[in-house]
This record gives sequence, structure tokens and C-alpha cells, in this order.
Amino acid sequence: MVTMNSSIKNIPGIAMSLLCAGTVLLLSSCQKFLPAERETVGSDSQYTTDVYQPILGRTTNYTNNFYQGSTTYPSTFRVVNPRRRNGQPAPELTDVFPVLVWKTAYTGLEKSVEEIDAKREIQNRPLFEIGEHSGSFTMWAAAKSSFMRAQPDSGYLFDVELSNSGGRRYFRNLKLQPMRERPYEPSNYNASTGQPTSNGVTPSVVSSIKGLTTDRYLSYGDIEVYIRKVIKQGVTPTNSLTFRFLDTLYNPIDPAKFATTDWDNLVHGFNKVMTNESVTYKVAYPIPAVALPTRFTTGDGKRAKVRFSYSRLGFGGATEKATLGLDFAIYEPGDWEIVFAFKSDNPKFVND
Amino acid sequence: MYRIKKQKLIGMRLLSFITALILVTSFGNMGYAQNKITVRGVVKDQAQQTLLAGVSISTAKPQKTIAATDSKGAFTVLVDAGSELVFTYAGYTPIRKTFLSSVSGVEISISPNNNSMQEVVVQGFKTKTRETSTGSSLVLSGKALQDVPVSNVMELLQGKVAGLNIQNNSGSPGGMGTINIRGLSGSTVSADGFLTPTSPLFVIDGVPVDMNSNFEYGFQGGGAGISPLSLIPPEDIEQMDVLKDAAATSQYGARAAYGVIIVTTKRGKSKVPIVQYSTNVFVKTPPKLRETIGGKEERAFRINSILQYDTSYQHALSLINSTPFLSDSLNPYYNNATNWQDYFFRNTYNQQHNMSIRGGDDKFNYKTNLNYYQENGIIQNTGFKRYSLSMNALYAPSQQFRMTVNLSSSLGQKKNGSGVGLVQTGVASSANSSSLLPPPSLFSDNNSALATANVVNNNKTINISSSWDMQYEPVKGVRFGNLLSYNLVTGSSDRFTPSYLSGGTSEAYSSNDRNYTIYDRTMLSLTKTLNRVHNLSGYVFNEINATSFRPNVIQLSQTASDQITGPIGYSWANTLGGTLNSLNETRQHGYGGSFSYNYDRKYVLDFNFRLDGLSTTGAKQPYSNNPSVSARWNFGKEKWMEKYDWLSYGSLKASWGRNIKPTGNIFDTYGRYNVGLPYNNNPTVSIDYGTIPNEHFLPETQTQSNVGIETGLFGDMVNFTMEGYYRSVDNQVMGIDLSNTSGFSKMNTNAKSIVNYGMEWTTTVRVFKPTNPFKWTVSANGSMNRDILAKLPDGLRQITQTISDGGSNVPIVYRLGRNVFSNLLYYTQGVYANTENVPVNMATGLRQALSTTSGYLSFQAGDPRWTDVNGDYIIDEKDLLPIGNPVPRFVGGFASQMEYKRFQLNMNWSFTLDRDLLNASFAQMMQNFAKPATMSALVPIDKYNYWKPTVPGEKLGGGTVNARYPNPFDFLRAEQLQPYRSNQTLFLEDGSYWKLNNVVLIYNVDRKMLTRLHMTSCKLTLTANNVLTISKYTGPDPEMVTQLGRDNSGGYPNARSYAAGINVQF
Repeated sequence: MVTMNSSIKNIPGIAMSLLCAGTVLLLSSCQKFLPAERETVGSDSQYTTDVYQPILGRTTNYTNNFYQGSTTYPSTFRVVNPRRRNGQPAPELTDVFPVLVWKTAYTGLEKSVEEIDAKREIQNRPLFEIGEHSGSFTMWAAAKSSFMRAQPDSGYLFDVELSNSGGRRYFRNLKLQPMRERPYEPSNYNASTGQPTSNGVTPSVVSSIKGLTTDRYLSYGDIEVYIRKVIKQGVTPTNSLTFRFLDTLYNPIDPAKFATTDWDNLVHGFNKVMTNESVTYKVAYPIPAVALPTRFTTGDGKRAKVRFSYSRLGFGGATEKATLGLDFAIYEPGDWEIVFAFKSDNPKFVND
Repeated sequence: MYRIKKQKLIGMRLLSFITALILVTSFGNMGYAQNKITVRGVVKDQAQQTLLAGVSISTAKPQKTIAATDSKGAFTVLVDAGSELVFTYAGYTPIRKTFLSSVSGVEISISPNNNSMQEVVVQGFKTKTRETSTGSSLVLSGKALQDVPVSNVMELLQGKVAGLNIQNNSGSPGGMGTINIRGLSGSTVSADGFLTPTSPLFVIDGVPVDMNSNFEYGFQGGGAGISPLSLIPPEDIEQMDVLKDAAATSQYGARAAYGVIIVTTKRGKSKVPIVQYSTNVFVKTPPKLRETIGGKEERAFRINSILQYDTSYQHALSLINSTPFLSDSLNPYYNNATNWQDYFFRNTYNQQHNMSIRGGDDKFNYKTNLNYYQENGIIQNTGFKRYSLSMNALYAPSQQFRMTVNLSSSLGQKKNGSGVGLVQTGVASSANSSSLLPPPSLFSDNNSALATANVVNNNKTINISSSWDMQYEPVKGVRFGNLLSYNLVTGSSDRFTPSYLSGGTSEAYSSNDRNYTIYDRTMLSLTKTLNRVHNLSGYVFNEINATSFRPNVIQLSQTASDQITGPIGYSWANTLGGTLNSLNETRQHGYGGSFSYNYDRKYVLDFNFRLDGLSTTGAKQPYSNNPSVSARWNFGKEKWMEKYDWLSYGSLKASWGRNIKPTGNIFDTYGRYNVGLPYNNNPTVSIDYGTIPNEHFLPETQTQSNVGIETGLFGDMVNFTMEGYYRSVDNQVMGIDLSNTSGFSKMNTNAKSIVNYGMEWTTTVRVFKPTNPFKWTVSANGSMNRDILAKLPDGLRQITQTISDGGSNVPIVYRLGRNVFSNLLYYTQGVYANTENVPVNMATGLRQALSTTSGYLSFQAGDPRWTDVNGDYIIDEKDLLPIGNPVPRFVGGFASQMEYKRFQLNMNWSFTLDRDLLNASFAQMMQNFAKPATMSALVPIDKYNYWKPTVPGEKLGGGTVNARYPNPFDFLRAEQLQPYRSNQTLFLEDGSYWKLNNVVLIYNVDRKMLTRLHMTSCKLTLTANNVLTISKYTGPDPEMVTQLGRDNSGGYPNARSYAAGINVQF
């Protein structure tokens, strides 16, 4: 029987190792001729919105503004070369500013202002920020017309660089044309000049309110709403919201007369102070805090919803439930008050 | 009187040598040499000690056959004293023996030829010994395939050949799994999720059979669902050759791009006719079935989840009360605990019989084989029967003329139940029914269950194939040959669904198809040896091939009654019929040549070249060139290797070559006209603007390089083969959409390429010396393969294709540089234990949300945590990623063959490793929990780690930390959220498995007993098939998945079978 030869010379070993090496070389060289797996930058991808006109003083988030096309994710987006319309650099777009961001989700169930504030924090970020991987844009509320080029100025131009392992591509001359602040909605300010166009706004709901002297149902034109920030010299502003009602002679109406109002759940505010002239709450701004439908907001969650109501016996003894309401939003912190002024006739609170 | 003990070693690198003692008695001396002597004795198989009939006995000088052993293995010859006698038997090592004087009772033991270098391999159109073959191929003896009864012989090849990936992904009797040589060959996936099959070309006794061209069989509706492979009786197979690289397959050119498997049936080789009968009786048992929750428990589950997750208690009560099967629990219709799966699955008893008669010698031999196979499927109303009759004959009156004729016919009969071919969707949907429903009856709602058992269906496939091979050598070294073959496959299918089973609408479906192939090859070959060491050979050939396929279908809807199924009285408006548009006719013409040179069988060099023209190729370049070149160096034969006597043989080989495969059809090349409505009573003909003709259309091309080493060590006790390959499959068809200004909407182009590269290993070890009565052979093989997508049309780097496979419906992604296709999935990172864990958008203060058709749905506790790839806090289609590779990286197997005296124990293992499966059926099962008011089956859920709230009923609070599965019960949100959607990595699992394919115990009956029974051999076998699968995969069977790696319900499970067999020879 044959046995293993102890004096094996290395010739077959060399042959075999040469072959193995050759095979490994062949297989590894194959890799080189094959395309590497990479992401794609698609030639059909593009921004679907070229002109961005955020309103200053409030956080605006543009999503779904990029058509993905054949680009594959993950990809990286970057704002490059932001500049004023005349070509000058725009440091206000590249510098970072303290902005208020959400850490935890707002639910509408918070029990105090502190609880809401604990969900937010100050971070230093650029005021006009791009979503790093999505290409979306965010204009933070800290951007003000005091240092931004707001309309009617023609604003800024910027480019976006899209890159991934498949290459890079530039989307040029996107336009940012911020509008001046309108600190509350509904607004009586002109969008581009920032100047008021009327004294007040009209309420959202006026229903079954009978005029005291004319004995007709009051309509939207009979009531004017003033939303205004109260700044008292020497007093540190707190975040509060006050509701007042004025009669035709600008005398205060006792809010308690709106007897069936759900005062405790009127707004997402706390520490209600009710006098015979006004109702005040401690609140967190902006109102509504986020665009989330809660019991304090309209169905889409974009406006806070207040409803004042009272009930009286009308002609013939039927109950009439009168409602006065406003859907509003306030973006700036401070001591705000909303005044409902009855212009042509006072409401009738007594029974017929 | 004296005895001579003589032992002789035959051959230089012979593994086996003769161990028997030959007793020769001599009375005289050499002076008696010229006298005639009589030698009497028997010849037997050295290993099995059985007597061999038909062993040729010839004198060495002059070489002349003088006798053969009779049916009892005995012989008597009268020769000159001192003559050397040669005992030869096909497949055995010849024995030479010198006799000096008359003797009787001589016992000659011959043993099977184990010398792997002398194995006959078929490559190209020629048979060669392995030491001169340059291509990559592997020979499998038919013996390994004959002890396990299966309907399709390819099932047994799993794990036996390195680089051959067989997945038995349908247990449907008479069906076919998937066969791939060296990785994925194609990348075309149909809209319903089937990968266009890329089975190798089969050449059965010279008849090429393409398993891919009419893949309607067994896959997509219609057809009889019988694979042509199932019509080959395994008992009749002598040898299978698996040709892998381009050099080996080069001469099969026009269809050989996916490899070639050559099946050679048995031939007569014994002067004394051999009658052989074998039978197997076997039991098939269904695999372990899915556990379900039954009866009262199911109802309680449903009511509980409604009470916990409905918007309010009142609404929950009203939902329960308005759902009769929940509230009306005492109604006998709803008061059940039906185990639906029991109604479909069963144990079956099956049998097969095979009888063959063969005999003859070199000049004339014949064989006739008769086969019957019957298998009842483990699903009700399914089954397969095969009847086959085949014969072959060889006539070679002289060295110069030789003629071989093969004729075989087979009939397959199949019952598909309510399914078609591979798919059993009826069973799947019924088995998914609520256990509260009553068992199937005429009055129950669940008709698909009853339909499975009662639909009348009968599918038949008839295959007739014949080949006629003639060779003539007018001058020595010059040989003319012609091979003509004809193959006809015709199938028919009849199905009748009575009206009470299909909502009052009866349906009669009937189809027939016919597929023929004519093949003819003429060749002229030359052989010359110069100076005894320069061996030259070459041939030129010309071949034609014509195929045609024509399927017709008629589907009568609403027949007159359940008894009268036609021909009148049906609803003509709903009735369809005619020839299907998959009909085709293809012509192929090829010519070429081959030249082979070897120096003393040490250095071998082969060149092949062929030109192929196809009727489906564009008119601009109808012919394609397919060259191949290959070489082999038998370094073991070198002088300087002689001192290493531990090396029995050693060789290196390398090859490069190209083949094509016809793809597409004639319409892709030449366009199509439509017959329109009549105009002025004249028929109109218009251009079909669907697909523009592409006159540059090319066949699919495969280019492959191969390097390999083969060694035999320690007297051939250890064989080792290693090969590496690099293959690209180019010009794959892909339809591209055209701009609307072209007038046409689509063009089929040759725009896709894939590349496979990998390595293969095969080792065989004979553990003990041949003299040891205990013999143990262990062989192992494995292959590592990578598939890369190398080219896409229009410079694209990624293409997504939607798939509606009725299961996962997950799109696939073709991405350049990646494995050929991947799933488009959400990446699941776990489950949100608390609502606070959900990321919050800094700018909007809102939680991450899912984009749904009706707006955004914020995530909360118990929801799956999907990766937000683009960071926009919205989960939508932009966050889908290409993930997973369904093609295994490693496949292979182990075989162990133990032999002790008369007993033999064989075991076969196979493995498939490193692939990703999408467990879509599990996803669907879990989705049922979110449909408490829908009647579907519920599975026991306790063993799964799913999210549960800390406080029952508390929706936004905390819950299970590190849960693997999301909350299955929140049925109101589930409609939008679909937490158990199948397109997420939560259901992507490792699909590796190890499988004990079969265990065979063989006993060869003792010779004394055989003599008494007048038999020459008798073999008893016990077999277990599909014994065990070891896998981490959580689904029922990691093999039962589609080629895209999806475990959709609706497959036909693989049965386990136990067989007892007997094989006798007279």
C-alpha cells in the first residue's frame, strides 16, 4: 500500500498554491470590472417649488417639495451659496441663531405652562435650514424682518447641492422671499408691506346674538375683533392671553354674562383670572402650539378655537343659545389681548 | 500438487486491486503448453459476492471473445494451455489470468472500476475519458438515483453536484423545482413574481429537451402541470453528466447557456439477457401543519381585542352584536372548532414498478424498459401517474459501422385538485378560514374546501421521443455520423367545476397543447495519432433544430347543468376560447467545428467554434459566433512527478467560451400585425403599435471562464476537485418604454447583464483500504456563488418592478453592482415601547407619522419603528430600501456510503446557506389578529414576543420593552398603519438550512439463497426521503419559497416519504 512520502518536494505544492493564488487573483480582479453598488443621483429629480415665501416670525416647514425621481436615498442635501438678490453674501442665512425647537411631542393634554415649556428648548441653528436628507426647508420663528430682507425686497437666492455615493448635483437659483411678520391670524396686515389695512378683524362665529336696541340678530359686520399685544412700560412681559368684550360705547361687558361658556377649557391656558372686565390665562406661545387637532383647536389643528356663549329665552319662550367665536393663531410671545367690540348694537342677555 | 498464490495489480494508479485468491492447480509443466485445456468456473462481483452474468471472456493474443458467463455466472472455455484469459464486464476493471492446465471451480472476482480518470465523460458531441476532457463536468452514476422513489429524478440531485443548486420548492407530484447551474442565470421576473426559469438543457439519449421554453407547464395556469423531467423513469438511468462551463457545453451552443445535463439510459451489455424487476411501495406523509386556535378560544380572542381597542365600550358592544359569528355563539353554524387543514392533507400509499430486459454484446445489444409510477398527493384530489415504455438498440456489425436507435414513450397523468401545477391557492385560502365555521359540506359557505376535493380534473401529458444515430468509418480515422431526433410532447387538461361549488356558475375548462422538436446533426470527424504521442482529432458539423408550440384553450362558463357540460347551452358571453398567444415556432441552424490535440494524454488543447442562426434574432445579425478554447495539463503524468507515489493523478485545466440562448420571440424582431374590423366588407390589417420591431435583437449570451484542479491522492483514496469560474450572462431581454413621439409604446432590447462568479469544491474520501470488508466512502461538495447585476438599460442604476404574487406583493429592485434583485422594504428597528420614544419633528412638534391615503398617522406605543431614511419624520415610499438577497451564497451537500458485507447504508445531506427569505405567510397570519370581525384562522400567539400594554386597554401608555413584534390587536389603526405589512425587515429571515435528504438501507440477499430461487441478484431496500430539515427559519419549510425568496402561502408542501423496495435480477 502506498503511504505518504515524507520527502515531498514542493513542486506540486507550488503548482497548487499558484493555482489557488491565480484563482483568488482572477476572482478579485473580477470585482474591478463590475460596477460598484452606489446610490443614484437622478437626472429627473428636482425641486417642485422654486420660490419660498415664508412669513417671518413663525416657524414654517416646507415638506414634499422635492421630487425624488430616480434619485435613491439616503442622500445628503446642502444649501450652498445663499446670497442676496444683488449678489452680496447673506450672513443672516448662514449664521446660527437661538431658536426654539420641540424636544418632545406636544399633545394638548399638558397641565401647566411649565410642562409645555419643558418640551421645548433653545438650540442654535441657521434660520433657514434644509433637511439634511430630505431636502425640506424650515424657516424658524426667530427670523425677523429687522435683520432679514423681507418683502417687498426681492429676497435671497440660494443653490442646493444633492449628493450621495452616486455623485452630486446642484439645483440653482432657488428663491427665498420672506414676508413681513404678521404676528397673529386672522390678520389685518398687508402681507408684503406689513402695514395694517383695517382696525380689526371679524369674528369666526356669530350666531343667535340678538341686538339690544334693534332686536335683530347681529352679524359679522356688527362685531369687530382687535388682537393686540399689551406692552406696559416697566413691566416685564409674561405670556398671557386676555379676552375682553366692549359695548358700543367701549364700556366693558362683564364676561360672566357669557354664562354658558366653558371657561376652563376655552384655550390651552392655565391660572384663569376672571374679573368683571376680562378673563386672563397664562399661556405658552405660539397658540396653537403645534398643528395638532386638540380640544382647543379647529379640526385641522391650525387655529385655536374660542367660543363664548350664553343662553336666553327668546320670543315665544324658546331657548336661544347665542355663540360668539373666533379661530385665531398668535405667533409671538407676550401679553396679548383679544377684544370683541360690539360696533352697532349691544348683545341682549335678558329673556324676552 | 501445489498451489500458486498470485496477486496482481492492474494499472498504474489503480485504486482497487484483486484480493481474491486465485487457485490454479497444475499437474504438469510448461511442456504441456500447446495442449488444449478446459477451464470451468464462475465470475462474481467482488464487493457484493453476487454472480455476474454476461461477463465476456476473451483470449489476450489474439484478442478474440470466446465466451461469456451464463445466467448463473458460470463459464466453460476450451483454450490452449498457458493462454491468458481476459474477463471484461462494463463498468468493472478487467481481470487477466493465465491458465496452464485444465481446471474447474475457478472463482474470478472482479470489482467495479473506481478509477476516476478512466470515467467516461460526455462533453461536446463526443465521449472522452476524464483525463482528456478540458471542460468542467461531473458524472453521476444512475445507481445513486434508484433507491428513492420520487416522481422527478432531479429532486435526488440536490446536494450531489457542486454548483448545481436544486430547490424542491414544490411538492406537487409530477412537478419540478428549480434547477440552476452556477448561480442565477436570468433576471426576468414576471408581474406575478415568477422568475423566468433558467433550467439547464437536458439531452436525454441524444434528444435535446428544453425545460424552459414552455414554462407555462407547472407555473402559470393552463397546461397539465407535468414537467417533462417527471416522465423519465429513474430506474432506467445509467448515468447523468452535468456540464457546467462553456467549454463543456460549447457544442450544444444554441440552448446551452444555462449548462447541460446529459441523461444516458441503460444499455444491454451482457450476452445472456438480464431481466430485472424492481418495485417500491412508499408512504407519503404531510409535514407538520400549522397550529391554529380553535373554537371558543378563537371567539374569546376576537371579542377581547374588540373590547380593548374599539373607540368606546358601547361601540365595541355594537360591533360584537352586529357580527353574528361572534355574538351568535349557540348557532350550530358558528358553534364549531373545525381543523381546516385536516380536510386537505392526508397520508398516501403509493407504488412504483419497473421491469427491464436487456442483453447483447458489442455487435448488437438491446434494452426494453417498462415503468409504472403512482403517487397520490398529500393534498386531497392531487396525484401523479407515470407509464413509460422505452427501448434502445445498438447494431455494429463491424468496427466501421454503428447504429443506435432509441425510442421512448411515456404518459403522465396528473390531478391538480383545485390548484394549477405548483400553486394551491384554493387550499391556502380555505386553510385560512375561521375554525368557527362548519366543516365543508354542500351547505357551508366555504366552497373552496369542497372544491379541492370535488373538482373533476384530469391532466395528461404524452411524450414520445426517438433518436437514430448512425456512424460510418470508410477509412480509418475518418468517420461520418448523423443523429436525428424527434421529440413530441402533447398535453391536455380537463377541469369541471360544478355550479354548487362556484356560486352558481359552473365552468368547464379544457386545454390541449402540442410541442415538437426536430433535431438533426451531421458530422464528419477525423482522428489521427502521430508518432504514438501526438493525438489529433477534430470534427465539423451542421445542425438544424425546429420547435413549435401551440396551446389551445376553451373555457365554457355556465354550462346547461352540472351534468351536461357542453357543447351547447353555455353562456356565450362569458365563454372564452382559442389558441393562446404563447404559441411559437422557432428555427435554429448551427454549424461549426472542433479541434482537439493532446500530447501523450498529458497536454490537452481543445478549440471549438460554432455559428448559430436563430429565427428569433434580428435580421441585422442573424448568426452569432460562439468560440471556446480550453486546455488541460495532467501534471501527474510528468516524469518529475513519478516519485510522488501518493499522487494518483493531478491535473490543471482552464477554459474560456461563449454560448447563446434564444430569448424573446419573433414578434420582438419583426413586429406584429393585427387583424382589424372589416371595412367595406373587406378585412383590415393594421400595425400593432404595442412593441416596435427591433432588428438588432440578439439572443442571450453567456461568456464563461473556468479554472480548475483535479487530484487523486493515496491510491485514489482521496479525490479532490476545485474550480473557480467567472460568467457573465449578457443581452438579457428588457422592455423599455419609448417616448410617445415614436408611435410605439415599447421596445424589447438586450439591455441587462448579470455576472456570476464563485468557486466549487468536491472531495471524495474512501476511508478504509479496499481490502477492508468495511467500506466507507464520504464525499462532500460545496459551492460559493455571487450574482451581480452588471448592466441596466438607458444608463440607469436602479429599476423597481412591482410584483403582485398574491402573497407579499413586495416590489423588487434591480440595482447595479448589487445582487440581481432585492426586496424593497422598510427597515424595522423594533417596536416603540412608549409613545415618548417616537421621534418628534423639531420644527412642527409632531410625532413621526406614517403617510397614508387619508393623511398622516402618528406613531405611538406598540407600533413598529421603521427607519426614516430621509429624516423628514414621515414614513412613506421614500424610506424604502433595497434589502436582502434571495439567492443562496453557499449550496452543497454531503454523502456517506457505508458497506459491510451484504449491508449498505447511504445517507445524503444537502445545505443551502446565506440567503434572505421574506416570511410573507407569517405576516399575513399576524394580520388576521387585526381583523376580529373577519372569519380567518388565528394562530397561537403566546410564543411570539409582541408588544402588550402595561395597563390593559391603555393605548398611549407604555408597554413591553424590547418587543419583537408590534401590537397585533389595535384593529382600528391597523387598517391604516398595517403594522404587520410584509414589506418590512421584520419578516426578512435567514433562510439557511441543512437537510437530510434521504437515508437508504440496502441488503443484498445471500448467494446460496439466490441459487435456490434461481436469481442472479436480489436487493432489498428501506428508504426514508426528505427526512429532516434543520433551520433557524420560523416558517414551515425554508425550501418552500418562491425563487424571489418569498414564503407565500399557497405552495404545495414537500412530503416526507418512507419506502420499502425490492430489486431482483434473473
